[in-house]
Amino acid sequence: MGLSFLSKHLPMQEGQPQVQKTPADIISTVEFNHTGELLATGDKGGRVVIFQREPESKNAPHSQGEYDVYSTFQSHEPEFDYLKSLEIEEKINKIKWLPQQNAAHSLLSTNDKTIKLWKITERDKRPEGYNLKDEEGKLKDLSTVTSLQVPVLKPMDLMVEVSPRRVFANGHTYHINSISVNSDCETYMSADDLRINLWHLAVTDRSFNIVDIKPANMEDLTEVITASEFHPHHCNLFVYSSSKGSLRLCDMRAAALCDKHSKLFEEPEDPSNRSFFSEIISSVSDVKFSHSGRYMLTRDYLTVKVWDLNMEARPLETYQVHDYLRSKLCSLYENDCIFDKFECAWNGSDSVIMTGAYNNFFRMFDRNTKRDVTLEASRESSKPRAVLKPRRVCVGGKRRRDDISVDSLDFTKKILHTAWHPTENIIAIAATNNLYIFQDKVNSDMH
Amino acid sequence: MEFKLEAHRIVSISLGKIYNSRVQRGGIKLHKNLLVSLVLRSARQVYLSDPCPGLYLAGPAGTPAPPPQQPGEPAAGPPAGWGEPPPPAARAAWPEPERPAVPDAPWVGGAEPTATVTGAADAPQGRAADAAEAAWGRVEGPREAAARGAGSPAGGSDAFPEAPQAARRPCACPSGGEDRRGAAAASPGADRRCAPPPSADESPAPPAVCPRKRGAAGVGGGPAGCPAPGSTPLKKPRRNLEEQPGREEDDGAEEMETGNVANLISIFGSSFSGLLRKSSGGGREEEEGEESGPEAAEPGQICCDKPVLRDMNPWSTAIVAF
Repeated sequence: MGLSFLSKHLPMQEGQPQVQKTPADIISTVEFNHTGELLATGDKGGRVVIFQREPESKNAPHSQGEYDVYSTFQSHEPEFDYLKSLEIEEKINKIKWLPQQNAAHSLLSTNDKTIKLWKITERDKRPEGYNLKDEEGKLKDLSTVTSLQVPVLKPMDLMVEVSPRRVFANGHTYHINSISVNSDCETYMSADDLRINLWHLAVTDRSFNIVDIKPANMEDLTEVITASEFHPHHCNLFVYSSSKGSLRLCDMRAAALCDKHSKLFEEPEDPSNRSFFSEIISSVSDVKFSHSGRYMLTRDYLTVKVWDLNMEARPLETYQVHDYLRSKLCSLYENDCIFDKFECAWNGSDSVIMTGAYNNFFRMFDRNTKRDVTLEASRESSKPRAVLKPRRVCVGGKRRRDDISVDSLDFTKKILHTAWHPTENIIAIAATNNLYIFQDKVNSDMH
Repeated sequence: MEFKLEAHRIVSISLGKIYNSRVQRGGIKLHKNLLVSLVLRSARQVYLSDPCPGLYLAGPAGTPAPPPQQPGEPAAGPPAGWGEPPPPAARAAWPEPERPAVPDAPWVGGAEPTATVTGAADAPQGRAADAAEAAWGRVEGPREAAARGAGSPAGGSDAFPEAPQAARRPCACPSGGEDRRGAAAASPGADRRCAPPPSADESPAPPAVCPRKRGAAGVGGGPAGCPAPGSTPLKKPRRNLEEQPGREEDDGAEEMETGNVANLISIFGSSFSGLLRKSSGGGREEEEGEESGPEAAEPGQICCDKPVLRDMNPWSTAIVAF
């Protein structure tokens, strides 16, 4: 795939490039909307920035539209739970777009405890010609009004307005890790470590608990929910992943409480790989249904796996993301990197999967050709229209010129959040506080 | 041997993580703490399965975490060592409140320490309901003492009255804090469960492992006495408290050797003054109840005497770091 560098943004800084990493600017989630026209990012400071793809220029029909900032708003603020004396972080954990049903766009954004529904509307006309008020809105002197006119709508500079339409609060005791909108476009679910709740988009004062894995005795706790998603087509099916590496497919028609799964997807552990950290690295950090609805993609610390909904015993395909880290698990445990939660993504045709890694590398795997590529999101490669060069991590043995050795990987530069345009080969990569958008110019095989 | 060293190192790192998790913004992360506790358990198993008794820091005479353990056993066999104050005993006690004898046993001379309890502990002791909390309070004590940089006995004593009181709150909460299934009303307050207040929340959670270990190391008798007997039934409510991620470690942790790790914990709490003293209970003022003799849970001694420990980097690093 000849990925060219389309554009790069520093969402939180106007003007000069950022030299320091402000913690609040760290991007925490990236999500395209259903058409790919809009791209939303959330950050640790509770802000949401929406990018819009510019329409393709007529002058250069071959050039693709670029993404520019469309709207910025503060979604969540830090809160304090007085009862527990705990601070609630404003970091946006997830953003999910609602399918567009009218001229407005809507999205759900969530932090650890509260989900909010935002409505994004455009205003590009305004009424002019009021009878009683003048242009500035001041009341006219009635004696000057000699005739009546009908106000008309005149164009104005585009204004994007964002307003919170719903606040879904107090539904979760533990930290929310995922939200997913149902294909029925009426309900959505939110999952925390131990419970999953079903909400109706129009009802904020109650939710239905559909999964509860909290043991009666917390000392018996052995696994937590790490991610969950609705099936893209079947509104009754959803999947949730656990910290033990298993996936559970649940059918809401079967029972009101879906503690009992319909299908359990689990791969037996390889005893030869057992170590102190086996459990940690088997914890699933992200699960995504394919667009077709036939497969699921999961990410654990070292691999991405494709599962077939019809086969529970083991994954269909397993791809090594950075197996060279297997011998370094102890150091990664020490510096907390082993707890990093990487996301994964499908391309529009479900033929390529993508996930992030360290050193600002991200990996793509072609399921058909079985080829994979490692690319880097960095400023050096950010010259417009530059083609990304594949990178390689060498693990001893022959070392090629541009190879990076495992020991020189920068573990502070991690790509946790990635998103793929729903139909085109455009990807959004969040590298700490920078957003990179890459586009495939030429539809060629990956090398 | 290397496995043991690595296991040791991992244990100390894990404990550090749990300790740090309490000060993290946004509250304690259940998932991460669960994973850390699993690592702790694995490391412990490796440590214990290695037949190298020399490294078994005979902690508190085999605090019987699992009931079958004989109190007097040296920590040669499986673990017993790590004993934890209320927990092992109390834990055994929790499910079966009618075994107060067990908790007493491990703390040889348990009666004595109780008797030597400071005035601070008397208050909590007076209230059965608080005895349980006091256990937590005691655990919290060293930390608070450390926080105050207190190396003085006063610091330790001060810690106790506060902590127990703070810890007391959870039990006062309505036990019906569980949310309702089905049409759970998500109205404000509906989901407010029986949540422990900050200090209490922190004490169990962060190191649900730590406090317990220290207990076995002899905190057992500790101020507030042996909380288990009197407080057994009251421990139950607290177990249902939310967000005690460290708790799940108890199951596994109870069997861990307390020896050096407990020492490390108490070292954290006492600002290492205990390292320098030879007398039992050393500089850990807050552990006045720490009995001498059989426990030999003298952090200073153990850390200094055991050549293996001396050579182990993580320990000296941790100590130096503090």
